[in-house]
Amino acid sequence: MAYPTYAPTGRSFSAGDYPYKTFQSQNGKEVRILYGDKRTGMTLDLSYDNIPDTQADDFVAHYDETKGGFSSFALPSAFRTGWSGSAAAIDAATGNQWRYQEPPTIKSVRPGISSVTVKLIGVL
Amino acid sequence: MAKVYTGRDGRLLIDGTEQIKVSSWSLTGNLETLETTTLGDSQRTYTPGVQEFSGSASILYYNDGTGRNDAALALKKVLKIAGVSDGDTVDMRLRLVEGAINHDVRLAAYITSVSFGASVGEITRADISFQATGALTEVTI
Repeated sequence: MAYPTYAPTGRSFSAGDYPYKTFQSQNGKEVRILYGDKRTGMTLDLSYDNIPDTQADDFVAHYDETKGGFSSFALPSAFRTGWSGSAAAIDAATGNQWRYQEPPTIKSVRPGISSVTVKLIGVL
Repeated sequence: MAKVYTGRDGRLLIDGTEQIKVSSWSLTGNLETLETTTLGDSQRTYTPGVQEFSGSASILYYNDGTGRNDAALALKKVLKIAGVSDGDTVDMRLRLVEGAINHDVRLAAYITSVSFGASVGEITRADISFQATGALTEVTI
């Protein structure tokens, strides 16, 4: 199955960075070497609070399908619900796809209701 | 017939026994709500969570001449040497009467706090608070 198409109740995005290394000489002079022209390592934390258990288990099913953090995937547009800026600004940048950074966590709130937290990282 | 209820209509039963010399009781019901608002929504939405019921009562520390003292029985639910155990719930009925009709809320509860004392010029009373456990067992209000 594809990544669940539910609107999240919370979203946190970090833009990642370009691959480069910094070298500093003894006099303090800094030299940076750029190793790539694509930004990567962006992170996306999504929370789905108080959803039915029947929706919560979809996240585990997808986690199984991607063999945990092994396979990368694209996210459906539902993850951007409520975002009115550029779609690409909070998605995996060009050339990147998402993979699980951590296993999804499910917190049981009451019978039949759970909250799910998903942590993703963008990889080239 | 129109009916305005007053303190004269109030009754309190603990473990099936109507308490004598009750000066007040109150019951509060709460429903926890779980927020289901998602990004993009303009109004907050909720789904029901768990309920809880709690209340309080004030009973005069009164001996009816036969050795019966309802306040003392309630106080002993907490003021006991052996400590409180799972089985120390009380069956409480908070009642308003209307002639032969009883309007009841019935619940199983733990007495969670008791307070009593003696002051010059005042009647000694036991103030108790209770916390319901589980669902209400009867509602006929």
